[in-house]
Amino acid sequence: MVRDSAWRRLQVAALAGALALGVAACSSDDGDGGGGGSDSPIRIGASIPLTGQFSQQGKAAEQGYKVWQAMVNDAGGLLDRKVELVIKDDASDQNTVVSDYNALISKDKVDLLIGTYSSLLNLPASAVAEKNKMLYIEPAGGAPEIFERGFKYIFFSQQATADKQGKAFADWISSLPEDQRPKTAAYPTIDDPFVKPNVDGIRKILETAGVKTVYSTTYQVDLNNFDTIVNKVRAADPDLVVHGAFFDDGVGFIRSMLKADFTPKWLYQTTAPSLGDEYAKAIGAENTEGIIFAISHAPQAETPGNAEFVKKYEEMFGGLPPEDAADAYGAAQVLQAAVEAVGNIDDQKAMADWLRKNSVETILGDLKWDDDGRPQGEFLTGQWQNGKVEYILPAKFATTDHTVMGWEPGTK
Amino acid sequence: MLEFLQYLVLGLLVGGVYALVASGLSLVFGVMRIINIAHGAFLILGAFLTYTLWSGPGIDPLLSILIVAPATFALGWALYKVTIEPVRTAPMASTVLLTFGLALVIEATMGVIWGNNATSIRPPYGSDSFSIGSFYMPKAQVFGGLVAIAVLVALGLVLTRTWLGRAIRASAANPTGAELVGIKVSSVSALVFGLGTAAACTGGAIVGILYSFVPGTHYTWIARLLAVVVLGGLGSLNGAILGAILFGLAETFTSAYVSAAWATAFPYLIVFAVLLIRPQGLLGARQREDASAL
Repeated sequence: MVRDSAWRRLQVAALAGALALGVAACSSDDGDGGGGGSDSPIRIGASIPLTGQFSQQGKAAEQGYKVWQAMVNDAGGLLDRKVELVIKDDASDQNTVVSDYNALISKDKVDLLIGTYSSLLNLPASAVAEKNKMLYIEPAGGAPEIFERGFKYIFFSQQATADKQGKAFADWISSLPEDQRPKTAAYPTIDDPFVKPNVDGIRKILETAGVKTVYSTTYQVDLNNFDTIVNKVRAADPDLVVHGAFFDDGVGFIRSMLKADFTPKWLYQTTAPSLGDEYAKAIGAENTEGIIFAISHAPQAETPGNAEFVKKYEEMFGGLPPEDAADAYGAAQVLQAAVEAVGNIDDQKAMADWLRKNSVETILGDLKWDDDGRPQGEFLTGQWQNGKVEYILPAKFATTDHTVMGWEPGTK
Repeated sequence: MLEFLQYLVLGLLVGGVYALVASGLSLVFGVMRIINIAHGAFLILGAFLTYTLWSGPGIDPLLSILIVAPATFALGWALYKVTIEPVRTAPMASTVLLTFGLALVIEATMGVIWGNNATSIRPPYGSDSFSIGSFYMPKAQVFGGLVAIAVLVALGLVLTRTWLGRAIRASAANPTGAELVGIKVSSVSALVFGLGTAAACTGGAIVGILYSFVPGTHYTWIARLLAVVVLGGLGSLNGAILGAILFGLAETFTSAYVSAAWATAFPYLIVFAVLLIRPQGLLGARQREDASAL
C-alpha cells in the first residue's frame, strides 16, 4: 500500500514535470545569450503577443519584423553586420512582456530592442527599456499616457498618437453639409488605453461641431456578448456609431448589429476594419460596404520603399501585408535610421537625441517626433468599398475620389 | 416592459449555452473530484473542429455536432486513460496542475493546426433573427439554445434512466460502495471524462457560431465556467444549469441596467455573495470533508 502510494506520487510528479518541461520547451528561445563581436550579427530583441488576445496583430507584427530582417540582410546588413531577431511570445500578458524584455536584456544580451504590439503591452515594456537606457521604437502603442512619463528613449513609429487618429475623419464629418452631417452619435468602446482616447478624440471634435451624443459606454476586454449593448445603442437611434474596438469585439459588435437589424447611417470602427480579409471573412464581405476607419499604412501608397516591402511580404507570407506588419516594418526602419545615423549600436542616447532632431523616411511616410517621442503626423482614413479597402483621406494618399456616404451592409 | 422581456430572452439564450458547456465540467467534478482546467480548451477545440467541417465540406455547424460529439468523446476517453487515470486519486492540486498543462498543450496544438488568427463560423442564419416589431431573437442563439436543451435533456436521461447513469451516480455518491457492488469506477470515470469532453466540444460548436475565437480564447471561458459551476454547486448537473442561467441573466441585466463596464465583473460578485451565504453553491451538497470542518 505504501509502495503503491509512493509509486502514484512519483507518477504524478513525473507527469507534471514532463508537462512543465514540454511547455517550457515550447515557449523558450534558443538564444545563445551572447552579445558577440563585430562580425557577429546584431541581435535585436522583441517580445510580441503571438498568442492570446492580441495574437492576430502580434503575428502580423512578427511578419513585418521578419520582412525587414530579410531585406536588410539581403542588402548587406546593418553597419555591415547581419541582423538577427530574438523574438519571444508574451501571450498578450503585461507581466510576461516585462519579464521577457528583462530577459532579452540580461539573459539574451541583445544589442537593441524593438517594441511590441498594443498600448497595453508597450506601456510596461517601454519602462524596462527606459530603465536600461535602451532605445525603444514601438510600432503600436499610441495611448497618450505612454508619452506623459517623461521617458527619453521611447518613440512611436506611426503618424499620430491615439487621441488624434480619428481627427481626419471627425473633421471631415464636421465639414459635411448640414443635410448630410449626422445629428446624433453613439460611442461604445472597449476599455483600453489606445482605443478609448481614439474614440474620445473623435467625440470631442464632433460635439464641438454640434453632433449630439446620445449614448456612450465602456466595456471590459473580456466581454464577448454584445447583444445587450447593441440593443441599448439601437434604442438611442444614433445617425453615427463610433465603435472603439479591437478585432474580436469589433466583429462581435457588428454581428450583433446585424442580428438586431440595426444599421445606423454611418459606422466608424477602430482597428478591426484595418485587418483586411480577416475582417471581411468574419463579418461577411457584403456587410463591409461603407465602414470607415483610421489606418497607418496603405499597401498601394507611393511612399519610398513601400512597393518593395509589399512585394517582399507577398513573397514571404502571401497576400497583402496587414497594417500591423507594415507598422512593425516602419518601426524597424526608424531603428535602422537611428543606428546608421549614429554609426554604432552602443550609444543609444545619441540615437534617441538624433531621432528628436530629425525626421525619418518610412513606408508610412516621413515621421518626426516631439521631445517625448510623440509622432507629429496625420493618419490615413480608410473605407471599405466593394469588398476592399480604399483610402479617402488625406487627399495626397487617397486611392479614390469616391466616398460611400454611409454604412450599407448587405448591398455588395 | 418589452425592453425587459428582450433582455430576459437574450440573457436566457446566453445562459442556455453556458449551461451546456458547464454541464460537462460539473459532471467530471461530480464523479472524479477533478477540476478540469482543460475544459475551456476542449470548448475551443470543438469550435475549431466545427469550423473545419463547415469551411471544408460545408457541413452546417449545428449538424456537425453529430460528428464532433462522438469524435471528441473518443478523444476525451483516450486522454483520460493516458493522462488523468494515473493521477486520479492524487491530491486535487496535482490534477489541477495536470489539467492546466493539458489546456496549454491543447492551446499550442490548436495554434499549430489552425493558427492564431481569429476564426469565425458564419452559417446563413448567423446574422438573422426572428423578429416581432422591435423585439427579436437571434436565430443562431435560438438554435444553439435548442441544441443545448436537447443535449442536456439527453444527458439527464442517460444519468437517470440508464444503467450507465446509475453507475455514474453511484460512482459520484460513493466510489468505494460502487466498487463493492461491481461498478468499475475507473471505467465509469473514463466514460464520464469522454462525455464531459463531448459536451464541451458540442458547446464549442455553438459558441463558434456566436463569437469569433482564437486558441487562447479558452482562458476567458474557463474563468466563466468555473464561476458558473461554483455558483450552482460543484458536481451538481442541475446546479450547473441553474448557475449558468443566472450567470447569463446577470451579465445581460448588468449590461442593460447597470453599466456595460460591469457586465463581466458583476456576475462574479454575485457568485462571491452566494458563496458567503451558501458555501456549497446553490444546489451543491455538503461533502463529508465540509461537514468535518464545522
